[in-house]
Amino acid sequence: MLYIHSTSCISAQHTFDDVNFDVLNPVVENKLVAVEPNSNQIPNAVLRRMGKAVRMGIKAALSIVNNQSELKGIIIGTANGGMEDCIKFLNQIIDYDEGTLTPTNFVQSTANNIAAQIGLFTSNKNYNITHVHRGLAFENAVIDAMMLVKEHPNSTFLLGGVDEISTYNYTISLLDGLYKNEEGKNNDLYETETAGSVAGEGAAMFLVNGKKQNAQATLKAIQTIHTTDEITVEANLKDFLATHLADGEKLDLFLSGENGDSRLSKYTKITEKIADITTLRYKHLTGEFPTASALSLWFACNFIETQKVPTNMVKSGSIPTEINTILIYNNYTGIQHSFMLVSR
Amino acid sequence: MNKEQLKAQLKQQIIESLNLIGVKPEDIKDDTILFGEELGLDSIDSLELIVLLERKYGIKINDPKEGRKVLIDINTMADFIEQNSSKQN
Repeated sequence: MLYIHSTSCISAQHTFDDVNFDVLNPVVENKLVAVEPNSNQIPNAVLRRMGKAVRMGIKAALSIVNNQSELKGIIIGTANGGMEDCIKFLNQIIDYDEGTLTPTNFVQSTANNIAAQIGLFTSNKNYNITHVHRGLAFENAVIDAMMLVKEHPNSTFLLGGVDEISTYNYTISLLDGLYKNEEGKNNDLYETETAGSVAGEGAAMFLVNGKKQNAQATLKAIQTIHTTDEITVEANLKDFLATHLADGEKLDLFLSGENGDSRLSKYTKITEKIADITTLRYKHLTGEFPTASALSLWFACNFIETQKVPTNMVKSGSIPTEINTILIYNNYTGIQHSFMLVSR
Repeated sequence: MNKEQLKAQLKQQIIESLNLIGVKPEDIKDDTILFGEELGLDSIDSLELIVLLERKYGIKINDPKEGRKVLIDINTMADFIEQNSSKQN
């Protein structure tokens, strides 16, 4: 059980500061590029060296960590970390024939740089870890946080997920079939019957502990699975709900990680059928990336806190009058699946 | 390329190479101290500048003491490039 007390989110949409789901930023060249907020908390001398993933991570973190001098730990999930800097560094090795290389790209490219920089900015020398399990990087960070909170229920941890679009990596993933070849609009994403999705990026941060009082939402349970078999997904989800839904408790919303990739529709169809409740989708707002599930948790917290759901996220069913329990399902490339159960 | 052109080019290259946000070439005077309060560069930047000299001008600085004399301001860098450059562009 993880009690979520503060949240922040940087995405391609208006999710930071003034949250507004009515105005959608469009897909451009099959990418949903995150809108970076200005920050006067990071000196220009430091900011100039940071890649986008680091900037997003720090800005999202600092917006909720400011008053938390006693953070017990910083737990970040990122599949790729500073991928843009990583590829710049690798290209330098080739361009300059393994000769003199500059340190900045290398330093900024390491995945743990995001958590490390947050630690430096908040002068926090406690537990600091980065989980990098591709499409389950954020979920593994959540599991880590849950175990720590179980041991230290009165301690607060910063939990987050971050990934960026890198130009080179986008091309590689496009060739790998992760993104669509044809251009589309946000609302067309689910209508096309082609392979691939649109690229996305973002950062979501959460302050979590074991104290129920004044919590914004509760992450009751999480499960991860590696499989390509939809029957295994089905069986696991049924078991997950049977185990973690309390007697008489019912789902109010199903937040699906459907991403418009025709090859993955079998998973979303089967999970939707099991949830059997109003279904929402979010990847037309955020795009697809390995830690997009961090943003789905932010959406769920927002819905529970505001008791409102934007109509442009509803796939089927009607918006409930009261939102108490939300099931989140995500899958990355049809191999890495996760379920999260979020409640008031 | 005359010395003034070299200095102008050097300022532009430093801004690009160090990603100096909000700094324009005209903000850097020929005698602006690079390291310290004026421009605020640090030790990582000194490595970036050494690599810049090697890549753009074909000059290697192997001795740290030499680096300290060269990377003072635009004037000292331009003087050093004029004296040592093998592929000035």
